[in-house]
Amino acid sequence: MQFLERAALDALFDALRAEGRAVLGPTVVDGAIRLAPIDGAQDLPAGWTDAQGPGHYRLRRGGDATFDGYVVGPDSLKQVFFPSKETLYRAERRADGKLGFSPVLPDPGASAVLGVRACDLAAARIQRAALEGGPYAEPRHRARREAALIVAVNCTRPGALCFCASTETGPRVTEGADLVLTERPDGFLVEAPTQAGRAVLARLDTRPAAADEVAWVDDAMREAAANMGREVDLDGLPEQLFGRLDHARWKIVAERCLACGNCTSVCPTCFCSTSEHPSSIDGDEASRVRLWDSCFTEEHAYIHGGGFRPRTEDRYRQWLTHKVGAWVAQFGTSGCVGCGRCIAWCPVGIDLTEEIAALRQGEGIAALPAPPAHACATDEDLVPRAATVTRVERESDDVVTLHVAVDEGLQGVLPGRFCQVSLPGIGEVPISISGGDGALLEHTIRAVGRATDALCALSPGDAVGIRGPYGRAWPLEALAGRPVVVVAGGIGLAPLRGALRSMIARPDEFPEVHLCYGARSPADVLYAKELLGWMEVPTMHLHLTVDHASPAWLGHVGVVTRLLDARSVPAGASAMICGPEIMMRFTVERLAQLGVPDERTWVTMERNMQCATGFCGRCQYGPYFVCKDGPVFSFDQIRFLFGEEGY
Amino acid sequence: MSARPRLGIFKMASCDGCQLQLVGCEDELLAVAGALDIAFFAVATSKKDDGGRYDLALVEGSVSNEEQLAHLLDIRARSDFLVTIGACATSGGIQALRNWRDVDEMIRVVYATPSYIDTLATSTPIADHVPVDFELRGCPIDKGQLVELITAFLVGRRPAIRDESVCMECKRAGATCVLVAKGDPCLGPITHAGCGAICPRFGRGCYGCFGPKERAAASALAAHLASGGVPAEALVRKLRGFTAWAPAFRDASDALDEG
Ligand SMILES: Cc1cc2nc3c(=O)[nH]c(=O)nc-3n(C[C@H](O)[C@H](O)[C@H](O)COP(=O)(O)OP(=O)(O)OC[C@H]3O[C@@H](n4cnc5c(N)ncnc54)[C@H](O)[C@@H]3O)c2cc1C
Ligand code: SF4
Ligand code: SF4
Ligand code: FES
Repeated sequence: MQFLERAALDALFDALRAEGRAVLGPTVVDGAIRLAPIDGAQDLPAGWTDAQGPGHYRLRRGGDATFDGYVVGPDSLKQVFFPSKETLYRAERRADGKLGFSPVLPDPGASAVLGVRACDLAAARIQRAALEGGPYAEPRHRARREAALIVAVNCTRPGALCFCASTETGPRVTEGADLVLTERPDGFLVEAPTQAGRAVLARLDTRPAAADEVAWVDDAMREAAANMGREVDLDGLPEQLFGRLDHARWKIVAERCLACGNCTSVCPTCFCSTSEHPSSIDGDEASRVRLWDSCFTEEHAYIHGGGFRPRTEDRYRQWLTHKVGAWVAQFGTSGCVGCGRCIAWCPVGIDLTEEIAALRQGEGIAALPAPPAHACATDEDLVPRAATVTRVERESDDVVTLHVAVDEGLQGVLPGRFCQVSLPGIGEVPISISGGDGALLEHTIRAVGRATDALCALSPGDAVGIRGPYGRAWPLEALAGRPVVVVAGGIGLAPLRGALRSMIARPDEFPEVHLCYGARSPADVLYAKELLGWMEVPTMHLHLTVDHASPAWLGHVGVVTRLLDARSVPAGASAMICGPEIMMRFTVERLAQLGVPDERTWVTMERNMQCATGFCGRCQYGPYFVCKDGPVFSFDQIRFLFGEEGY
Repeated sequence: MSARPRLGIFKMASCDGCQLQLVGCEDELLAVAGALDIAFFAVATSKKDDGGRYDLALVEGSVSNEEQLAHLLDIRARSDFLVTIGACATSGGIQALRNWRDVDEMIRVVYATPSYIDTLATSTPIADHVPVDFELRGCPIDKGQLVELITAFLVGRRPAIRDESVCMECKRAGATCVLVAKGDPCLGPITHAGCGAICPRFGRGCYGCFGPKERAAASALAAHLASGGVPAEALVRKLRGFTAWAPAFRDASDALDEG
């Protein structure tokens, strides 16, 4: 540990600049301490102090500390590493009709961020786990993070809303910093845990800290930990929250909550995003832009036909059960680092520590399943590959199958997985693989909205963008050796077709396969020709039903569950299901009655998806992200949440 | 003849401010004019409505007399995609304040020759009278959103016009919250985004001119502001601004009015 004179603080700026670093740090802007470019010590908020309370933040003059008079303002490292709005790629339609996609990747110059607190370094670690630690790593986040040198500050005077001692993320800086300052009236005690930090320190005129100064830091930290303005008990919280989804408190807080999204915007760990596809008026030049989103918006949980979280109580519950609940299962840590921002910047002052305390009062415990482990992290820049439609098969009035050739070919094309299929300027949507291999993909698409309408209107020779495939495939290896019942509703047959083809091709492993398929009407039956062919296959047994028959229809009429009986569900069978959630719910119950256990029942889930890689948070479902942990799940993994209103 | 989609821009009771936003889009206007056949745009061109069909109709203004209502029904019948633009068309506008008053009495007080005045008792949004395909909010509407709407229509995408709070834009823009940091009553948390949080970015509370967002908890915000000392009359005035007649704001202001 070294000692730096107060008057020498400007030398730190000089040292950082000498390394070519642009310096960001705390400074007073519009009545708050913000994180902004600063030139020298004179821009730091020396002599300012903050008063924070629920829904309340005021700065006033007081004291003469440079860092210690105040705690965190609305900004955090999130702004620096994960900007609120950024272009991911540009797309253009070339003269030959082909699409060109070019990634937009940042080229961040070297930077230094000054005055970062322990809670925010913990938050940066957590954001990194979300954006770089899954099966995919976001290169933009990594580039910005790696370009920054962190000069952290130990908090000796925690604020009224701080509770990092409870979340074990402060007040002492123990991770993520290159230099750590502890402020004293006469100057700063400086530690340099990294090589980069030591290089900066070497440029400064410091002296070794005396033993009593070192001891003072320890004492100050202990005292700070004992002086937190708030506290919270996170122990066993995930199980309690998920066991209390009908707790009266959710409704009570929803009467105050405005569903405005301020809490998630200021939270240094919240990472949800959405995207837009701006284009020129002729559509020839387009891009995809990612922007911060919030689970408090309606769109966050939208899928065609409605949203999963219409009510404010659904949204608050979604947020809190993720932040301090499912987060633990997903990232091994709570998503709350105890910074208090969501309390201060909530316009109506909702205090999560109070809400948590109230929710702990109650009955109910539910164990959370663990999400699957993923092999770490291939780079994923979220840029589609150019592809061409080679054939279009009309399946019904509103469904077509596109055969798509991807210029560079694709790895890992397996039934159950999906691709993000895009048209520049129009949108990008998740579509299951309904057949094909690495060179040629089949996608069966129902026109329900703008993007799917446009995809269904394509002709051979038209260009599309494809990224993927993503997600987990049907576990054919685990299913082999037993009878298999495949239950499909409507377009739900699409992700199952490839699996059916594989099972037909491997009769030794799949000696008895039953397909129970329900369509709206005979005219809506997909893959009619292929189904006819399957009737000749000895291992395949077809059971069809329609909701509304035509005069020529001789088969079953009624819901698909009516097809499930001892004949179509042989003893010892496993099951695969895809269809609307309500249909899957009844199917699972019926299958259970017929003796198919949850762990041999596989379903595929559908949630709003923007990234397909675990980055955007849109598809979060309990301890899972449907995109990377699903979309195929064994039912025992999701039973605890399945069908729960608001999820 | 060109096969370009026909655009008509119509007006009811309004100030023309929203239509003028299109005139103000100088850079984009040329591209719009190239891509669309601007068949009717009274404030900018002298072309008459030829009685033909419109692929895209933008309707500004509220319905405040019988003649406007008849005109509106006619436009709707001749338009494939009808978009209401601005606070007047989407909520009744500032002139909807008369909906809380006795109109005949106001006419007697204000006009020298009351018999010249032909008006309905209320000023109401277009969607009260005909089906509307999309709403563009604001007083006036935002140029960027207007260009996005037209581009999205032409290209075939869902317009990137987000039904979220002004706070979302405010935070993305990195503005400091005026409600929390200054105690300024701000309608941002319950107001539909689209303006780019322009008032908060200049240090003023949001006036709500884009109208309520989905799930606008106007009473919850009002209760909080009242507990911080904002008098009920001030809250009523705040909610009864440019979009007073929008149900979420109207109901909350009525509840405050009744005490
Ligand atoms: C893993 C997965 C696999 C799918 N496979 C198929 C398939 O094989 N065939 C098929 O026809 N459909 C499939 N879907 C549904 C398909 O993605 C939606 O119908 C499509 O996103 C609707 O987009 P839109 O723009 O046409 O509709 P709009 O209603 O205009 O939707 C607007 C936006 O909301 C989002 N969205 C809407 N509905 C959904 C949805 N159901 N799931 C996720 N995001 C949604 C998208 O971002 C979309 O662009 C699948 C969905 C998922 C999650
Ligand atoms: S908790 Fe507060 S900040 Fe978060 S959405 Fe509700 S009102 Fe807005
Ligand atoms: S949940 Fe609130 S207190 Fe916890 S890290 Fe996020 S903003 Fe800070
Ligand atoms: S996290 Fe983005 S789609 Fe799953």
